[in-house]
Amino acid sequence: MDVNHIFSRREFILVSGAMVVAVSALEAWGAKEAPLIIMDQAKGLVIADPTKCVGCRRCELACSEFNDGKASPTIARIKVTRNLNFGPTGLYTGQRGQGAWGNGLVIQDVCKQCPHPVPCANACPNDAIVVSPPTNARVVDPNKCIGCKMCQRACPWEMMSFDSDTNKATKCFLCDGKPKCVEACPAEALSYVAWRDLTDKAPPRVAPTSVVSPDKAQTCNNCHKK
Amino acid sequence: MANHGGWAGKVLRIDLSTRRISTEDTIEKYKDYLGGTGIGYKVMWDEVPTGTKPFDPANKIVFGVGPLAGTGAPCNGRTAVTTLWPTCWPKPLVASGHMGGHFAAELKYAGFDAIIIEGKADRPVWLRVVDGKAEIKDARHLWGQGIRRTTVDINQQMGPESSVAAIGQSGENLVPMSVVINSYSHSAGGIGGVMGSKNLKAIGVRGTGSVRIAENKEEWEKVVKLHLSLLGSVNQHVVPNSPQPWAEYYSPTRWLGSKGRKWGSAEPNIETGACDPHNLNRIAYRTNNAAFFLGEKAWQYTVRGNGCSSCPIRCHTILKVPSVSSKYGIRAVGQNTCAGLVFGREFFKTFPDGPRGQTAIEACMVGMSLTDDLGIWENYGQMQRDFQQLYYSGAMKNKVGEDEFKGFSWDQYEKGDPTFLFELLPRIANKQGELATALGLGTGYLLERWGISEQDWQQNQKIAYWKMGHPRHHANEDAGQCGVIINTQYNRDSQCHSHVNFTRNGLPIKVQKQLAAEIWGSPDAVDAVAAYSPMNIYKAKMAKWSLLRKELHDSLSLCNWMGPWIASPLKERNYRGENSIESLLYSLATGDKKSRDELDEVAERIFLLHRALTIRDMGTKEMRTEHDTIPDWVFIDPTGKASFTAGTNRMDREDIKLAMDMYYEEMGWDKKSGSPTVAAYQRLRLGEVADGLTNRGLVP
Amino acid sequence: MEQREEIRLTIAKIIREKSETGQLMQFEELLTELAGQGLLNPEGADQRSHLEGILRQVVSENEDIKELSSKNQIPHYYSSRSLSEIYAGILVRKEENSLIAEIVRENSAIYPRPVPLNIFREPPFDLTQEEILDYLEKMGKQGEYQDIAQTTTSIGTVFLYSNRHLDATYASILAEWLDVGQANNP
Repeated sequence: MDVNHIFSRREFILVSGAMVVAVSALEAWGAKEAPLIIMDQAKGLVIADPTKCVGCRRCELACSEFNDGKASPTIARIKVTRNLNFGPTGLYTGQRGQGAWGNGLVIQDVCKQCPHPVPCANACPNDAIVVSPPTNARVVDPNKCIGCKMCQRACPWEMMSFDSDTNKATKCFLCDGKPKCVEACPAEALSYVAWRDLTDKAPPRVAPTSVVSPDKAQTCNNCHKK
Repeated sequence: MANHGGWAGKVLRIDLSTRRISTEDTIEKYKDYLGGTGIGYKVMWDEVPTGTKPFDPANKIVFGVGPLAGTGAPCNGRTAVTTLWPTCWPKPLVASGHMGGHFAAELKYAGFDAIIIEGKADRPVWLRVVDGKAEIKDARHLWGQGIRRTTVDINQQMGPESSVAAIGQSGENLVPMSVVINSYSHSAGGIGGVMGSKNLKAIGVRGTGSVRIAENKEEWEKVVKLHLSLLGSVNQHVVPNSPQPWAEYYSPTRWLGSKGRKWGSAEPNIETGACDPHNLNRIAYRTNNAAFFLGEKAWQYTVRGNGCSSCPIRCHTILKVPSVSSKYGIRAVGQNTCAGLVFGREFFKTFPDGPRGQTAIEACMVGMSLTDDLGIWENYGQMQRDFQQLYYSGAMKNKVGEDEFKGFSWDQYEKGDPTFLFELLPRIANKQGELATALGLGTGYLLERWGISEQDWQQNQKIAYWKMGHPRHHANEDAGQCGVIINTQYNRDSQCHSHVNFTRNGLPIKVQKQLAAEIWGSPDAVDAVAAYSPMNIYKAKMAKWSLLRKELHDSLSLCNWMGPWIASPLKERNYRGENSIESLLYSLATGDKKSRDELDEVAERIFLLHRALTIRDMGTKEMRTEHDTIPDWVFIDPTGKASFTAGTNRMDREDIKLAMDMYYEEMGWDKKSGSPTVAAYQRLRLGEVADGLTNRGLVP
Repeated sequence: MEQREEIRLTIAKIIREKSETGQLMQFEELLTELAGQGLLNPEGADQRSHLEGILRQVVSENEDIKELSSKNQIPHYYSSRSLSEIYAGILVRKEENSLIAEIVRENSAIYPRPVPLNIFREPPFDLTQEEILDYLEKMGKQGEYQDIAQTTTSIGTVFLYSNRHLDATYASILAEWLDVGQANNP
């Protein structure tokens, strides 16, 4: 089944268990089609143990080199460098924060493969962020991505990367179930596990500033009654 | 250029006198020299005239990295910094310092393979480098600050990901024994004062770009994984320190990971465990240099391993020692490796609770806290050995005026009280008083200033002094004649680990000999330590190979402290490593296919250029007698044991003459003078260098 | 016949799993375990010879499964996939008086080098300070261990060596080098 298939409203179905089928909706009272962003849950997730992180950045390098053929922490879909020295918030606390300059702890930022809403996908004006089997990771379809960076502004955890060589956004796609970062970690600090919802457990890094288009916002009301 | 991967493609040139900023094409100008020290020596040869002094504006500093820096090739975190060396005695000559950390990778992501610093700013400045652009910034508010505050300040301006290489008060005050430091604890010795002389406080680098792998990414992944599979612990020790279930051997190596040994200050604790070499996800747990150098007690204070970008071996250890906050008012968390870890401890002869007790650890913490902020260099422990020798021989008291001498708490010092370091170290950085000023000069100039003969130092095995102001660095005590040859070749301590990382790798001598036969042509290339056999040609081959691989690593940006990778922990490979790993990585990353021999030839060119620079600036071709000298203690055994008997490192004078003969011959140099012949230069396409030296009468 | 094959597979699995935890499998343990699982058909005294037969086959069929006998002839089994011969050799000799001496001799012969005494306090030896001292005392009294000698480094670490392979000066130079010299020459 094409999990990104756009269904009509009448075809909206829920399958067994907790699994929600990706659907899009033909607006109930309009002719215009706007996707309802409910995606199949991801099946896997990379989780990280900061006490084990040794700050070598091999995860970022494996992510970008083995997938993109270039070493580039900037496009890596796991993010360590930004927390390496001072931790997520530590730069202005001198040496009292985290990271190599603080208490030594390095926080690895990983994509949570959000259940719903999926902020990056919601924000994309071109519906370029789609579910990709077999892992059902939320991935950027480079053919659809127009490089507007709206997704970057939408992710509360700043997990969207932008490749300035290709002019496309990119994000964690779980390497089709064999994440390179997990394989590369020399300290067993990363694990690939069955998906679980971490969106309410990890504090956001930033307040998202993207705007969801009115069409899409309208479809939200189909379920979230005002 | 467009087709090359690996290199960023540009070299940044900063003239601080004119504030002119320009770039050069790396491939066009420097490809034959790879990067790192290769670019460094090339710039020094082409641009810095003979007779220039280290602190002259005409001296240059080259921060060079290579095509592998910033990639996922293991152990590529080092930046080679080349300049005229201020502690090289009696006449400053070219040398390089090497710092790890994240600077090298960040420089590549910012689009540069090297930064050449020239001239002198008219007031304190720092250099801001972001994504292909450079800017000279006012550093007056940073002048007088330590390295830590300077770094945090610049990070606040540039963002937390930036890598900042800064000098402390020591460098500002033109103390020759000064470092530049990036990433908290990664230092390059000797450079601090030269930066200070140029009024350059720091370089901040931020890059969001990438390093492209030229060839097929699947092939690259395979070779990177091959390399990872061959890694041992720090220094490529391939045998664990205690018996492990998977291991056929055990040796007192630096591979410390084991069941029951824990990172005791990680919350919760982390057990390092058996670390089977086939499990590439546990490489980082093999090494704990704090536990190796500070003793078993350090385990409880270990927060985690740390180190350079891309390196799975974490040779820096982050320690948390709560007692030092209340006792000495310093941070409880500190980190460094090797000589940097023990900087503070090594001044003392004794401690109240023994050499591996709590006080010794506290001395280490105090030392790291002070020196890595003030930016003082220890010259591979020579500063501390000099200090002890001068104090306990009474020479210090005689040379330093009585008033000044009384100003130190010598009773505390003799008791092993780390608070003494607060008296001594800031004075070195600030050149306060005769003692501190002299120590800051480095051994050669200190001895000269105090009227002590260099020969006194060269007689004394314990001081471990070699020549030209610098100590031995893995000489006969580690590799017999091969180590001796290597220690004659540089203008500071040799910093070569190609040989010692093999001889100390922990494998039984029989296995080492099997590997040696494959690599250098005969099992006789290596001996069991302290049981040396007379010289043979294979030892000369090993010495040449070691030197070339050192320069190769320094130019590619592979760490010669970790490599080479000619042995492995893998029984199924009969403990073989891969002698061609450098050329495999280089060829795939750059797309410039070179065999092992072809790449070694480039390394030889780089090494030869270093030799030519040394000859040119010394103004003599009589290298054998005037440069490649060997201290007397090498030929002395304290108990009178004869050379070539088990239980002594003593070398034999005639045998070492033969060793040098064989080495020069192996290099294709003139045996009598120890200088390369015109043919030797020409063979490596250094004809112009040969011409330059011929005009000066400096070829044999 | 089919059942025998199942037993053989089970035995190999049990041995391998035990090896993964860094331990040897003793014959008696195996017997109890298999009997507990009801896998050993004949009852009583026959069980023993029955198992011996199966084990011989297991060892010959599986390249990684090795048999090792302690001095009192009790067979132990391990898989070389996770235990090296050396390590297994240490484990099987753990209860023996000669262990320290044999380890010291091996080290003096092959590397060559003296062994720091404190290595015996760590896994897999796991001896207490008292046990080590006991051994040393016994060794001092028995003629067969007269080759085992000790040397102390400048920072007080005790090393043992065998003078069959190293003379006293060589041993003390090596001990000092391993304990102090290497750390002072990083």
